[in-house]
Amino acid sequence: MGGDDPIVLEGAAKHFGAQTALHPTDLVITRGQAALLAGANGAGKSTLLRLVAGLCRPSQGGVRIGGRDLQRTPEARAAIGLLSHQTLLYDELTARENLHFFARLYGLDNILERIDAALVEVGLSQRQDHRVGVFSRGMKQRLALARATLHRPSVLLLDEPFTGLDTGASTALHRLLREFRTTGGTYLLVTHRLDEAEGLVDRLLVLERGRLQLDESLQDDLDADALRARCAPYLDVAP
Amino acid sequence: MRSTSFSYLLFATMLIALGAIFLWVPTEQEMGIIQRIFYFHVPSAICAFIAFFLVFVGSVQYLRTREDKWDRLALCAAELGVVFGLIVLISGPLWAKPVWGVYWRWEPRLTSMLITFTIYAAYLMVRDYGAHSTQAPRLGAVFGILAFVNVPLVYYSVDLWAADQQLHPPRNVELAPAMLYTKWICYAAFFLLLLRLLAQRMELARIETAVARLRQKLSDEV
Amino acid sequence: MSFLGRALAILRKDLQAEWRTKERLSPMVFFVLLVLLVFNFSFELGGAALREIGPGVLWSAYVFASLLGLGRSFADERENDALDALLLAPGDRGAVYLGKMLGNLIFLLAIELLSLPFFILFFNLSPGFFLVPLLGIFLLGSACLASVGTLFAAMSNNMRLRELLLPLLLLPMILPALISCIEATALILANGRFEKLLPHLQMLGVYAVVFTVLSLMLFEYAIEE
Repeated sequence: MGGDDPIVLEGAAKHFGAQTALHPTDLVITRGQAALLAGANGAGKSTLLRLVAGLCRPSQGGVRIGGRDLQRTPEARAAIGLLSHQTLLYDELTARENLHFFARLYGLDNILERIDAALVEVGLSQRQDHRVGVFSRGMKQRLALARATLHRPSVLLLDEPFTGLDTGASTALHRLLREFRTTGGTYLLVTHRLDEAEGLVDRLLVLERGRLQLDESLQDDLDADALRARCAPYLDVAP
Repeated sequence: MRSTSFSYLLFATMLIALGAIFLWVPTEQEMGIIQRIFYFHVPSAICAFIAFFLVFVGSVQYLRTREDKWDRLALCAAELGVVFGLIVLISGPLWAKPVWGVYWRWEPRLTSMLITFTIYAAYLMVRDYGAHSTQAPRLGAVFGILAFVNVPLVYYSVDLWAADQQLHPPRNVELAPAMLYTKWICYAAFFLLLLRLLAQRMELARIETAVARLRQKLSDEV
Repeated sequence: MSFLGRALAILRKDLQAEWRTKERLSPMVFFVLLVLLVFNFSFELGGAALREIGPGVLWSAYVFASLLGLGRSFADERENDALDALLLAPGDRGAVYLGKMLGNLIFLLAIELLSLPFFILFFNLSPGFFLVPLLGIFLLGSACLASVGTLFAAMSNNMRLRELLLPLLLLPMILPALISCIEATALILANGRFEKLLPHLQMLGVYAVVFTVLSLMLFEYAIEE
């Protein structure tokens, strides 16, 4: 394994005061892998994801993205795209203005072509000049997807991305994730809806009380029931 | 030095200081007996500013190292700074009433001290009421750094504002030898008191954190 | 993307959103108007006392209004967790501070300019040359308020008692700058000499620069998790 794997945790841990959200964790996710991160509520899934996103500073250890330490080289964040259950969008701005803002924030080139292409891809070209505040939940999430991938990240972090998605948007997300993997992209998916993860992941990580308890490779075609069976021993309640 | 022997030293110094203030030092001719409050007032002011400086040191070091001990230093020093500042703000008016005829004047030294006091009181507000306990050390450190940098600006702007209102006795008054000795004994006594209280309070804070950890661990295991 | 480029992108986004909703500007100008009105009854304005307390009244109104405005300045970022998106962008996060700070500076200036006519009217001032140096004081004073104010707004963004804490933090910290703003405004209204004005201008300049630089350095600590 080279030193420039897309996601590397080296003894990364996170404490919140006296509470330990994540015990020191080592983890390497290699290029093209698609990992599912499961666990009960409060097991540390979000903490781990936010550490990998650089949104949360490790109390110990470090996180490297593409071989670069997130704390020392803030430019390493350019490789990351984050899609969460929150849209991370501005309701007062139009769809187009939102994307334009993020394109400028990332210092992208060919901004207009990129935005046009992204809007077509998520099927929002017709509504591009409408305020995001009037969008339906599904449309917002599609735009959020366009936002998260506008800078062509090599690592996608997905935090409960299926929450509130309509069928159309959900299908679009599935299609995009498969395409993303075939082009060498790596992603880490946090979800409690294991049926949505069906056919999307080739590696299963399970957290229990801030510790990584299970880490195994999966067959791509593993169905939701099999996933559930594997996670079950580590979940306090049935997923 | 062990804390008990340190306490004896402090106790002895304080006894000497009290003896010097109330039995030995001659009464000042113009102001009379009330001048003796000066031996509490000035050392308290010095201790307050030492404490504020320690808040700054603790804050910078906490952000650099993330070690709890630095945060404890900042928090405990801020509490003591506020306490000593309060002594200054109470003893000042007690002195001023007979000498100036009023308890309070918007005189530069008084005003600056009052503003500085409110800044550090605000620091304690951040720590106690504002921040969730997990972020209090970090946000406190940011505020502790800004607060200390602000102190000279407070003094400068207040001096500009009321340059003609200056009434406070200047710092470099010539003192009779006995008064000078008493002053230095009081400095020593107050400085030792500050150190002792700081050590005590920091130890208490350490125990508080340890208890919180234990409690958390217990509830995790149950 | 350059540091400045990212800061300007955020500034532009904030201005765009504000231009559309005006949800900060209009209420804040109205608030200044109300405060001037309240002070009018508290002090029995009129006559010779006018020029003496006028500057204090004006700046009190501005400071209270700016507390409201600064408190709202991270509201858009809180909604939908948009702040995460800003923090995800590569590069030094000081740029986020700078963008937000410039936005706040422009808001504060806009409020001051829009409510200045009311002040002139209520205090029976005749518009004249004094307005030019007064704008300089507005600029410096707003820069001081925006410098610490933006950092504290970011800090209080995820505090309990957010609305209560921001004034408690900001008011004592801003006092040195506020004193100089009031003094300088009084000097200008009284046609004071430039030599007397200069130390106040220096004070405001030093305050704004020191706290902008410090905030740039500390912003990352103020918002991290």
